[in-house]
Amino acid sequence: MSKKILLLSSVIFLSSCASTSISELGDKFLDLINPSDTPTEVTDLSEEIFVAYDDSAGFTFEELEVLSNDELIEIAKEKGLEDILKIDADGNLQNRDEIINALLEAEALLDNATQELQSLSNDALIERAEEKGMDSVVVSGELKSLSNDELIEIAKEKGMEDTLVLDADGNLQNRDEVIKALTDNLIILDEDGNIQNKDEVIEALREGAEETKLAALLLENAGITSTLYFSYDDSEIDEVATRIIIQHANFMQSNPSFNLRLEGHADERGTREYNLALGENRALNVKEVLGLYNLEDRIVVVSYGEEKPILTGSNEEAWEKNRRVEFSYY
Amino acid sequence: MKYIKYFILFGFLASFSANALLEVSIIKSKDDSFPIVIAPFEMIGKFQEDVDLAKIIRDNLNRSGQFDAKSTNQLTTGPIDFDFYLKHKKDAIVFGKIRQISSNVNHAEIYIYDVLTQKPLYVNKIAFTNGALRKTAHALSDVIYYALLGQKGSFNTRLSFVTVSKSKKNAKRIYRLKISDWDGKNEQTIIKDDDPILSPAWSADQRKIAYVSFKNNRSDVFVKYVFQETLPQKLPKFNGIASSPAWHPDGKNIALTLSKNGNKDIYLYNFESRKLKRLTTNVAIDTEANFSPDGKSIAFTSNRTGQVQVYIKNLKSGKISRATFEGRYNAKPVYSPNGKDLALIHRVGKDYRLALLDIASRDLTVLTQNKSDESPYFSPNGGMIIYSTNRDNKGILSIISLHNNQTVELMQKEGEVREPSWSNYSN
Repeated sequence: MSKKILLLSSVIFLSSCASTSISELGDKFLDLINPSDTPTEVTDLSEEIFVAYDDSAGFTFEELEVLSNDELIEIAKEKGLEDILKIDADGNLQNRDEIINALLEAEALLDNATQELQSLSNDALIERAEEKGMDSVVVSGELKSLSNDELIEIAKEKGMEDTLVLDADGNLQNRDEVIKALTDNLIILDEDGNIQNKDEVIEALREGAEETKLAALLLENAGITSTLYFSYDDSEIDEVATRIIIQHANFMQSNPSFNLRLEGHADERGTREYNLALGENRALNVKEVLGLYNLEDRIVVVSYGEEKPILTGSNEEAWEKNRRVEFSYY
Repeated sequence: MKYIKYFILFGFLASFSANALLEVSIIKSKDDSFPIVIAPFEMIGKFQEDVDLAKIIRDNLNRSGQFDAKSTNQLTTGPIDFDFYLKHKKDAIVFGKIRQISSNVNHAEIYIYDVLTQKPLYVNKIAFTNGALRKTAHALSDVIYYALLGQKGSFNTRLSFVTVSKSKKNAKRIYRLKISDWDGKNEQTIIKDDDPILSPAWSADQRKIAYVSFKNNRSDVFVKYVFQETLPQKLPKFNGIASSPAWHPDGKNIALTLSKNGNKDIYLYNFESRKLKRLTTNVAIDTEANFSPDGKSIAFTSNRTGQVQVYIKNLKSGKISRATFEGRYNAKPVYSPNGKDLALIHRVGKDYRLALLDIASRDLTVLTQNKSDESPYFSPNGGMIIYSTNRDNKGILSIISLHNNQTVELMQKEGEVREPSWSNYSN
C-alpha cells in the first residue's frame, strides 16, 4: 500500500511543480533564488502509476469506468486531485485512465485509514483524537437531552462560542446546529468514558490525518524540510531559510487544498513568557515571507515557546534543535 | 500584660489529600538566626488530624531563614526553667495547648516568653473548627513571627504551581495546575491537561487564578475560581497570542500580553466594562507585566533596544523608563510588596539567575549560583522569594530567604514542578 501512495504522491507533486513559475515571486527575494535550487524537472511516472488495483471498498474500477469524462473531472477535483488532471483546450480529459487509477488509490488510502480507526479500542481512539487536538467533554445521557444553557456552557468552554446564535435575552436560537457542531468537533464521552460519537470522531480524524500525512509524504518526496532553525534570541529569516520557505510557497500554490499551521518554538533559556513571544515572532516572520505569495489566508500561526522541545537537556545540541518553526499542513 | 483574644478559623476543604507529593529540603542555613524553643503542644481531647502542630511551626520558622527553632523533650506545664534556656542561649520559649471544646470546636492557647526578662511577650487563645489544625499551625507561626520580629510572617498563605509528569501508559506529558499551603502540604490539583499550562497568577483576593493554557492549540488566558467547582472562564478571544496574565491589585483589571497583528504589547482588560486598554505600543516584544503594589506602575520585559531588558511604565504619566542596565538579559520582573525592589531573571555568562534590583539606586544583586532560574515571586511579607530552577536536570521550586540567603527546595518525586506564584494572606 505504501508504495502506491508514494507513487501517487510523486505524480501530484512533480506535475504541480511544472506549473509553478518562479516569476511569481515577490521582488524582495528575487535575488536570493538560484533556479537550480527549486525542483523544476518533471519526471514522467505515468507508467508506474498503473499498478493493478484489486482491493477497493469504495469506488470500484467498474463504477468509475462507466462515468463520463466530465463526471470524472468533477470527482477528481472534489478529491483534491485537480493537479494531475490533463485537460486540452476544448476541455476534454486527456488522461482518463490515470485519473481513474488515482481515484482508486485515493479511495484506498482513506478507506485504509477508516478501517484502522474502526479497529481501535475506545481508549486508543480517544487517545488518537486527543493527540490530533480534539477536545473531549463528558455528558451524562445524550447531547440532545441537555438544556440549552448546558449546551451554551459546553460550547463556550470548548472555544466554540462562534457557533452560538443567541437572542437578546441570551436564549439559544440554533440548538440543532450547535448539537451538530459539538458532535462533529468534540469527543463526546458518557460517564463511563465511552465515546458516544464514534463515527464523527473517526470522520474528523480521517480527514485531518490523511491531509497531514499526505502533505508530509509529498514534502518528503520532494526533499523539502518542514523545520526551520534559528539562532539564540533571534527570529531573522536568513537566506537558507528563505529558500526553504519559497519551496513551501510553491508547494502551497500547487496544493490549494492544504492549509498551513506554523508552530514557533524556542529553547529553554530565558523566561517562559518571553520565549512564547519569541516563538511567535519566528513563526510570524515565516508567514510574512509566505505572505508575498498571497497565502496569508491559509496560514495560522501558533507559538509554544519553550514548552514543546524536540530534545530535552540543557546543552547546545538540544537548544539548536529546539529553536525552530515547524510547518504542519492540515 | 496578659490578654486573650478570640478569632475563628474555619475548617478548610476537608477533601484535601493527606499525602503531599512535594518533598522539602533546606540548604545553606547560616548561624545568624533567632534561637528559640517551640515546645511540643499539649493535646487535650481527640483529634482526627494526625498533625504535629509544634513541628509545623518549627519548620515554618526555620524555613523562613529568620529563626533557629528547636524542640524540647517534654511538655512545658509547670514553672518555666528560664535558667536552663538561658544557659543554652535561647532567646525565647513558645509553648501552648490544644483543647477540644465541643465536637466541632477546639481552642489553641499559645504563650511566648522572653527568656532574658522572663516576661510573657504574647499570650493568646484561638478557636478553630475540626480539620483546621494545620491552618491553625500556620496562623500561630505568623503570630510568633510578628511577636518576635515585629513583622508579618508569610506562613498562612498558599502557593500555586505547575507540575509536569509523564503518563505511565503512553509517556505523554501531563500538566497539572496545583495549589498547596506555603510549605508544600495540602496539595490540590485545580486543572489537569495534556497541553502546557503556564503563568498561573493569584488574584489579590485569592479567589481566582489566571493562567495560560494551550488546550485550544494556541495560548489563551483562562480564569479559574479556585475554590468553586465551576469551569475555567476563557477571556474573550483575541487575535494571536494571549499570555502573561497579571492581576491589578484592585482585582477588576488584568494585564495581558496580546499579539494583535503580530505585535506583542501589554494591554489592560477590565472585567466589568470588558474593554481593552493598550499599555505599550512598541514594535518590539513587550511582555511579562507585573503591577506595583499600589497599582500605579507596571514593570515589564521588552527587547525594544535589541537586548532583553526590564522597563517600568508609570500608568498615570504614561512615561516608560528603563529599569535594568547591568548585563544583556534581564526579564520577568516582579515587584516586592513594599514596591521598592524588583525580583527578576538576570543573565550571567551563560546562566540565568535570580536577582534583586533596587529600583531607585539601580543596584542589582544576583542571589543564586544556578544555571536556569525562572518565575520569581515574593512572599506576601517580602521576606522570601520563590522561583523555579533545575536540580539534576529536573525542575524544582526554590524559596530563598532574603534575610540570609538560606534556601528551601520543594521537589516532586517524579516529574517537574515549575511556575510558582504566592498567594496573599489567607482569609
